[in-house]
Amino acid sequence: MSAEYQPNIVAFLCNWCSYAGADLAGTSRTNYPSNLNVIRVMCSGRVNPLFVVNALQQGADGVLVSGCHPGDCHYMEGNFYARRRFGMMKELLEYVGVEPGRFNMSWVSASEGAKWKDVVGEVVDKAKEAGPFKQFRRDKINW
Amino acid sequence: MNNKPKIGVYVCHCGVNISKTVDIDAVVEFASRMPNVKVVRDYAYMCSDPGQLLIREDIEKEGLNRVVVASCSPRMHESTFRKTLAAAGLNSYYLEMANIREQCSWVHEDKEEATAKAKKIVYAAVAKARLLEPLYEKEVDVEPATLVIGAGIAGIQAALDIANAGFKVYLVEKTPSVGGRMSQLDKTFPTLDCSACILTPKMVDVANHPNVELLAYSQVEDITGYVGNFDVKVRKKARYVDVNKCTGCGVCSEECRLKNRIPSEFNMEMGKRAAIYLPFPQAVPAKYTIDPERCLFLTRGKCGKSPKCVDACSAGAINFEQEDEIAEFKVGTVIVATGFDVFDAARKPEYGYSDYPNVVTGLEFERLVSASGPTGGAVVLGEGEDAVVPKDIAFIKCVGSRDASVGNEYCSRVCCMYTAKLAHLVMEKVPGANVRIYYMDVRAFGKGFEEFYDRVRREGIRYIRGNPSEIFKRGEKLVVKVEDTLTATPLEDEVDMVVLAVGLEPRKDAREIIDILRLSQSGDRFYLEAHPKLAPVDTATDGVFLAGCAQGPKDIPDTVAQAKGAASSALVLLASGKVKIQAQISVVDQSTCRGCGYCVEICPYGAIDLVTVNRMGNLAQAAEVNEALCKGCGACAAACFSGSIQQKSFMDRQILPQIAVLGVM
Amino acid sequence: MVDVAKLKEIARETVSRDDVKYLIGWRQGTFGFRAAPHFVNKPEDVDQLIFSPLCSHNLATYLTGVEKLPVPRGQEADSRKVALMVKGCDSRAVVLQLVEQGYGRDSVVVIGCPCQGVVDQKKVEAKYPDMGENITAEWGEKTIIFNLPSGKTEVPREEVLAGKCLTCRYPNPLLADAGAWEEVAVWGSDDYADVQDLEAGNPQERRAFWEDKFASCIRCYACRNVCPMCYCEDCILDRLNPQWITRAVNPTENTAFHLSRAFHLAGRCIECGECERVCPVDIPLMKLNRKLTKEVRENYDYEPGLDPEAKPLQASYRPNDKEDFIL
Repeated sequence: MSAEYQPNIVAFLCNWCSYAGADLAGTSRTNYPSNLNVIRVMCSGRVNPLFVVNALQQGADGVLVSGCHPGDCHYMEGNFYARRRFGMMKELLEYVGVEPGRFNMSWVSASEGAKWKDVVGEVVDKAKEAGPFKQFRRDKINW
Repeated sequence: MNNKPKIGVYVCHCGVNISKTVDIDAVVEFASRMPNVKVVRDYAYMCSDPGQLLIREDIEKEGLNRVVVASCSPRMHESTFRKTLAAAGLNSYYLEMANIREQCSWVHEDKEEATAKAKKIVYAAVAKARLLEPLYEKEVDVEPATLVIGAGIAGIQAALDIANAGFKVYLVEKTPSVGGRMSQLDKTFPTLDCSACILTPKMVDVANHPNVELLAYSQVEDITGYVGNFDVKVRKKARYVDVNKCTGCGVCSEECRLKNRIPSEFNMEMGKRAAIYLPFPQAVPAKYTIDPERCLFLTRGKCGKSPKCVDACSAGAINFEQEDEIAEFKVGTVIVATGFDVFDAARKPEYGYSDYPNVVTGLEFERLVSASGPTGGAVVLGEGEDAVVPKDIAFIKCVGSRDASVGNEYCSRVCCMYTAKLAHLVMEKVPGANVRIYYMDVRAFGKGFEEFYDRVRREGIRYIRGNPSEIFKRGEKLVVKVEDTLTATPLEDEVDMVVLAVGLEPRKDAREIIDILRLSQSGDRFYLEAHPKLAPVDTATDGVFLAGCAQGPKDIPDTVAQAKGAASSALVLLASGKVKIQAQISVVDQSTCRGCGYCVEICPYGAIDLVTVNRMGNLAQAAEVNEALCKGCGACAAACFSGSIQQKSFMDRQILPQIAVLGVM
Repeated sequence: MVDVAKLKEIARETVSRDDVKYLIGWRQGTFGFRAAPHFVNKPEDVDQLIFSPLCSHNLATYLTGVEKLPVPRGQEADSRKVALMVKGCDSRAVVLQLVEQGYGRDSVVVIGCPCQGVVDQKKVEAKYPDMGENITAEWGEKTIIFNLPSGKTEVPREEVLAGKCLTCRYPNPLLADAGAWEEVAVWGSDDYADVQDLEAGNPQERRAFWEDKFASCIRCYACRNVCPMCYCEDCILDRLNPQWITRAVNPTENTAFHLSRAFHLAGRCIECGECERVCPVDIPLMKLNRKLTKEVRENYDYEPGLDPEAKPLQASYRPNDKEDFIL
């Protein structure tokens, strides 16, 4: 590994589209950076916006939330709620000085393995540009 | 029972799929140092029988109470390993998968990188596994009965299939007779079967079937409950005719003072009926109905000296005292087969439908050519002595379909072929007729469609590619203004009659069923299926299925096929008699819930209600989850400000440690 | 304008009703330019009611904040109505509490008080320091009149009114069962200049600004406790399992607290400014809340607490909600 700064990114993926898309990227033997760590949830609508704050607090340099494209949600509406919540959360974070590149949201369907690779690349690049997150990271983390 | 976590971690090589890029030994060594981990093993193929046996033996001998399998995606083998746990007597939800293949070894080439990531993934899984709780898949009994809403061909077919399988069917039809739109058709494309000839036997079958309870002239008022256990309330509207006494002789209708005064709905308001009527001769049940909005006695309280129908009915079946009745029953499944409305041609004012009587819709024309129609099947314009036979007839396709200006971007799928069929019938009925069809595209996609299209063209029907811009009157003739786009020639085509091939639209009353069953609509406003490819007859509500044009425009064979699909889906539930309820559902801590109702609003399944709870004598509102309705999406949990509603297996307290592990490592 | 004499009459009638438990209004405070919440249990307590530029408290917070003591066996909980005096902003809190079903519409009697703006204690105390006596105030024509020991003093309202009043677009109650008033004119307008000036800076500047503010937070939770919309029985941020934020008072946990609090008010803040008023360390909380208020208005065309029938912002969506931020 190079000595280049490697950001640590926590990603919340919905089970039906984005997680499946990430699986497909694997099945297709795509190669992408290893900075992204996935937490599987059933729906992007399950992702509590406070998870983002918590992840940044607990050591993440960036956070990604990814769900189904609008209209494709396995639960019909979950991604619509997510879009609203995270649209606001992103604004709030940036308003208090969190770099825009740290929090991202994407739509990746179960057939978009290639898009998943691109999303990972983009998210990692943005986090690299933003550098290590220190703003409100906990010094000591109990886990 | 001491439930201190004793975790077994099982690292799979997947042949070389994982071990090629992940240093298995390093992961095993790392996992063995994680808190609460008692056993760590690796194996070539964890999903194989010997691999699963390793896990089983450890659960039994080492007393493991949590299992982490680090292998492929949970979407691949989670269910496999859940069964392994269950076989060893451990609750199957004590399993957490660590996906170190699809999302690690297969996507990272550098061994050091992949190994580091695999360690993280395993640790996050262990962190969550420590906090897993046992879950139980409940089973509920399925009431062995089905409600079918709508008795067109879709509803009739679904009802017959289910009834023939030996289950009870309640068939609810809003109008006085079963039959639906198909009963209004004359011939069916592309085979030119007589619609009535193939439909009426089914109408009779369904009405006489011992397992079918037909509730005609009735409306579903309310459905509550969940898959297997729906409580249905149906309003049986008063016919003001005792159906047990009515023999269907029709003398009442002959005698009615309003005979031939009321536009007949069945004949698209071209023919006339009486206030006491049978919608059409083959109606089933063959029982008369009094139109409460028209009947003189019912609207004015007076009909001559005494109502003529009462005098005429020798069976004494007329009963003006009759009232609506409410029927209540329980069913396990529901099939929605409520059909469609045709596009209202008045919404395309350029075609003059509202202005010129000789501009008619396809369905109106269908009634004109039908032997049971207002003209007895003769294609004529006007009545009595003024009646003339139109010779020059133009059809215009895609009226109200593929037209964003009226909000219908979809293709109605039947207009191309019904136009061809009607054109063919004109050629049959009007010797020397001159028929042209204005079209954008001809979509002859079905079995026998292209052949039929070829046939009608050979019969001398002209297809002119162009979308008419206007229809206006010039003398006695109608002028169709259009550009023939194949030759780029502007035309002003003078004709005697124009038939608008109107498309199919969701029923105007579609909202009623949406509200009752919490169905969703797709962009075209038809009812939304659960999955466009793999669950085309299912809905988001378990136990509720769609059949026919309620789900989207389709022709009769497709409608029947979908009805049979819906019937078979319903039968799966009815025949097994039991249905499993999701285990990973939401759960409310009612002691902290503030009753704001955000979760209630958000739940796409209507699975959450506010109920009154007693907090030490103080009454408060709190959310409650209907376990049978919850599908486990967790949207409620993310919306809850106080964290009072949580999704099992995806609780905040299970996810936060995962975040911590992934953040720190 | 409110006819205070008539208002007292209405209050007296209301408190005398059998189905009313008590009335919550304001009375003159005991020193300085202060008013205090006044719980009127009996008709004679009505005399002390005031309605003046000092009445900053949003009393709606008491509707949900009231402690519900265990009801002894065999007795029934007191289900009588609570009467409440509300300014325009306060009424929005009531509307939103009703939307969120904090209580039923028939459990509250709302007495409307159109408001021409309330004073900012900090501004007025800076202007007249060390005022030990009890000072009353009234509204003048575009002014606030203080009855100082030295005599009546009239001050242009812009000099002493709270920031939220200078941008207030809803001075008249949006919901009232009773009230002795004529509507007052809306004179404020809101361009979110306070938010925009911070938005204009770069992330480093914004970060420095808020780091400084959040570092001073002592986590007294006054902002949360005074907020009429923060009425969870058990605040998620107080929980131990899981523990979202730790008890430690440090910039990290403080920031997480304030972000969480602000987010929970997204589409819910009715801009009464109480959080900022009560903050003992002068954190400009409205500058934080109003960022989201602005977003919500601009992107979702939504303002909370206006329509009792409107679905809450965070419990609804539109298919065409903004998504320019999505990859």
